[in-house]
Amino acid sequence: MDHAIALPARRITDLLSSGLRARVKSKRQAMDQPRSDPDQELVTRTQAGEASAFDDLVVKYTPRLYGLVYNMTSNHEDTNDLLQDIFAKAYKAIRGFRGKSSFYTWIHSIAVNMTLNFLKKRGRRFQLSLDDVDASIQNDKEFMEATATSSPVREADLSELQRRLNEAMMKLSEDHRAVVTMFHIQGMPHAEISKILRVSEGTVRSRLFYANRQLQNYLDEFRKNPVS
Amino acid sequence: MDEFNDNEIARLLRLKRYEQPPPGYFDNFLHEFHRRQRDELLRQPLWRICLERAHNFMLQLDVRSLASYPTAVAAMLVCAAILSLKVYQQPETARVASQSPLTLSVPVNGQQEWNLGSPVSTQIFRTQPLRSFRESAQTHRAAPPRYVLDSVPVSYEPTFRF
Repeated sequence: MDHAIALPARRITDLLSSGLRARVKSKRQAMDQPRSDPDQELVTRTQAGEASAFDDLVVKYTPRLYGLVYNMTSNHEDTNDLLQDIFAKAYKAIRGFRGKSSFYTWIHSIAVNMTLNFLKKRGRRFQLSLDDVDASIQNDKEFMEATATSSPVREADLSELQRRLNEAMMKLSEDHRAVVTMFHIQGMPHAEISKILRVSEGTVRSRLFYANRQLQNYLDEFRKNPVS
Repeated sequence: MDEFNDNEIARLLRLKRYEQPPPGYFDNFLHEFHRRQRDELLRQPLWRICLERAHNFMLQLDVRSLASYPTAVAAMLVCAAILSLKVYQQPETARVASQSPLTLSVPVNGQQEWNLGSPVSTQIFRTQPLRSFRESAQTHRAAPPRYVLDSVPVSYEPTFRF
């Protein structure tokens, strides 16, 4: 009788664990395969030779990729040149795009890799060339909270705050800056960042953790000297 | 609260979304992209354009393994080697010169120099006799062509001895 009771318990745990593994595996497979790429039609038409379809992709992704590249380089002119090169490369390579990932992931991979290569070649020789801060920031809830609660932020004017933030970002390594840009500024989830960078999610999280610590140290100087 | 914590860091970084390019930048970007593409195409040499077209054609055929440059170069080398082997393996037909034209032979002096005042003697000699195509095919490798001219003409007529 005891034997009859013990066996089902063990078998139940085995079944539960195997079922859980099967669900995790199927979930991973589902994550790896794009469910339905909203850009698939435009990609197919571009591959068929319709250049206007690629123009639509350019118009769609320019603002987003601009933000990604600009926040990694903090230089408007470099961003413009890089963006042109990114789309040129994407246009040349799109015939080889097989749809294993979404077009979104694919073009972001190209953008990040080209920007990282550019930054590594540029090295420490950089010059800030910052875009203007849109006036609508004054109505941003988070900005109002930051200026209301944090004394360094309240005391510094907007351009000073912008300069300090960009300088702090430029002190990070290129790889850490990339994950900070994609996660905090672009709002991408860890899974998407890991696909773009082709690293594990654990690596993304550890880089974010380290980058946050670095930024805290750099911005702590800002706290001590809010107005330069 | 004196230090920036993670939430404050994140909040400050999100404010960077408000950094925007000048007005009209995104509207003009596509036009600028087209202009640069045209300029780049005009700057490229013709061979590079042809190579890219061939590369794109291979990609269209979904032959990914053949669309790599090293494979294409290797394929070209193999084709060139096969063609050259075929060319060299074809036996050449020799033409008979029943009577060769008169030629000039110039004795070589000690200084290995030749000038217009050097004595010149003429000799009649014949080139290699004609061989049929089949015969040359059989004996081509057995008897390599001779490039040394004999002073005495070579005759293939049987010598009759009485």
